[in-house]
Amino acid sequence: MEALWPVIHSTYPRVGDSPGEQKLRRAIAAWEQRQISDEELRQVEDEVARQVIAEQEQAGLAVVSDGLVRWYCPFSHLARKLANVQIDGLLRYFDTNFYFRQPVVSGPIQWREPILLHEFTVAQAAATRPVKIVLTGPYTMARYSIVQTPLYQGRLERLAEDYAVAWAMEVRQLVQAGLMWLQVEEPALLHAPQDASIVAAALEILAEVTGPAKIALALYWGDIKPLWPRIQRWPVDMLILDFVYSPLLLDVIAAEGSARPLGLGLLDGRNTRLEDSADILRQLDRLAPRLKGTHHLTTSCGVELLPRDRARAKIERVACIAQSFTGGR
Amino acid sequence: MSRAKLKALGFDLPLLPTTAVGSYPKPPELMEARIQFQRGAISRERLEDLERRATEFWIRTQEALGVDVLVDGEMYRGDMVAYFAEQLSGFEIGGLVRSYGNRYYHKPIIVGSVEWPGPMTVRWWRFAQALTDRPVKGMLTGPYTMMDWSFNEYYPDRKSAALALARVIHREVEALIEAGARIIQIDEPATSVRPDELPIMVEAMEVVLDGLQDQAYFITHMCYGNFEAVYPDMLKSPVDNFDLEMSNSGLDMLEQFRQYPYTKDISVGVVDVHSHIIEDVDTVEQRIRAALEVLRPEQVWVDPDCGLKTRQVDEAIGKLRVIVEATRRVRQGFPTSG
Repeated sequence: MEALWPVIHSTYPRVGDSPGEQKLRRAIAAWEQRQISDEELRQVEDEVARQVIAEQEQAGLAVVSDGLVRWYCPFSHLARKLANVQIDGLLRYFDTNFYFRQPVVSGPIQWREPILLHEFTVAQAAATRPVKIVLTGPYTMARYSIVQTPLYQGRLERLAEDYAVAWAMEVRQLVQAGLMWLQVEEPALLHAPQDASIVAAALEILAEVTGPAKIALALYWGDIKPLWPRIQRWPVDMLILDFVYSPLLLDVIAAEGSARPLGLGLLDGRNTRLEDSADILRQLDRLAPRLKGTHHLTTSCGVELLPRDRARAKIERVACIAQSFTGGR
Repeated sequence: MSRAKLKALGFDLPLLPTTAVGSYPKPPELMEARIQFQRGAISRERLEDLERRATEFWIRTQEALGVDVLVDGEMYRGDMVAYFAEQLSGFEIGGLVRSYGNRYYHKPIIVGSVEWPGPMTVRWWRFAQALTDRPVKGMLTGPYTMMDWSFNEYYPDRKSAALALARVIHREVEALIEAGARIIQIDEPATSVRPDELPIMVEAMEVVLDGLQDQAYFITHMCYGNFEAVYPDMLKSPVDNFDLEMSNSGLDMLEQFRQYPYTKDISVGVVDVHSHIIEDVDTVEQRIRAALEVLRPEQVWVDPDCGLKTRQVDEAIGKLRVIVEATRRVRQGFPTSG
């Protein structure tokens, strides 16, 4: 391993416990009661996004995100601007106690307008480091959509393909705006590994439009090991892996290496317990001989499910460990 | 069988008993008082006075609407896990974590051995029950959900944490029974989160109810999960009644019940608690009738999908009113109501 960058995984808490960290919460509540305008809410969102980026940079991360602080959930934030998609009731998000709203698909999925362009532009202007943009993957979108049109009934592959085509339109806009890191998240795959070919096909569509940007696939909250040989062949520049849910994967990669650069999710993004740096360094030492090039160190998943002070401590620990690892070599 | 158990426990409930899942919205003055209390601007006595008034408001409201089995509305609780974690040793209260949209809660952290501190809910149950002749449910959060909705920095694994919490909740159930509670709800909304951990939830509930099963009627509430993944194995839980969110998910569990008969009592969620829209009586009546196509009327209770605390007071009352009215219409089709 030539280099190890400490990076954000994806999400970051939008509120904390101090009054200053409650600004977005209060703004959304006021906006819901029509006490402030769309533009006023957007200003607060932008401000909080800049704060979140600053926190990540201060922690020492080399790639940052806006924390996805505007997202209601991983589905509705993206799907609400697509044609023929409405947003429905709440459902638990995998094995968390976070809830998302399901997309309801009533006709052909079509991209109509930029979805993330404004937030990327704001983040890029605020950051001094590369900014990562996150997309919920086409397969995960499709898997959790409610289908109300014969077009997609019993045709998950077709639905995922159309989501991928829509996301490709979005990615084109982002690349034109200077995007360098695209992260596609497909946690649903780990609960239905038989659908791997659907994910691979969707990634092919996205990889065609990324141009100079790098595309990463993030897998978390399930066992990656059974899919490991296959996903290394997929058209992505990086595989971001959750080693908390896939503890045995470490042995495999330590023995065989990886055909792709890795995002090493070695710190638990779901629990407040801070990892012992020495334990993580030992794991990195096991992986290093078989890994070539530059890799990323991160949490197992986004840290939005942690309290903000603990999330900050977690990313500081990521940066500290990466620095120790790099400094020792 | 469970109606016989209810009779043996002294309850003569009508067919299709109506109830609520647990929480009701706090009146604006209580919401403000909670903020003032956190700031140290008012005393605990003042806060509790408002909590008692709000509890009485909801008891009287439920009576007036004709709800059969009442809840105290949890006016004194912020969150269903944090309320207990704040009282149990071994916990500290963590910072805010988002649950959905713009909703947040203080997620507890297990930092030591959890121990029962003495009755946590009995005083409020006694207060609420003294206000009414109708039964009031004792309301607890189950050990699996307590574990799953907390961070764990102490126990070596999830099962150890869940079983430790089960021993604590068992003591609280004993205390409620000693106080006179005979319908006790132990909420396990996290049940379907990790289907492979269903045996942990079942084992933990067995610990909770160990030696107590004949002494009360036990309900467990589950919501917003993948019930299909845990059905029918979830029926191994030793409770009498599963209270399920069903209208939000289009009553799709009924199809599961067609394929594998449902054998226990069930509280069918018939109104969406996350919508401002108050369902019309016809819609709710249709939902009850749909449930009765696959369930015997003797098995069925009727209630909202989940706690109503996220609704405005008038919305919650409106939804309860519709439930009661729709249930009355359906009951008319049966020869007796008892």
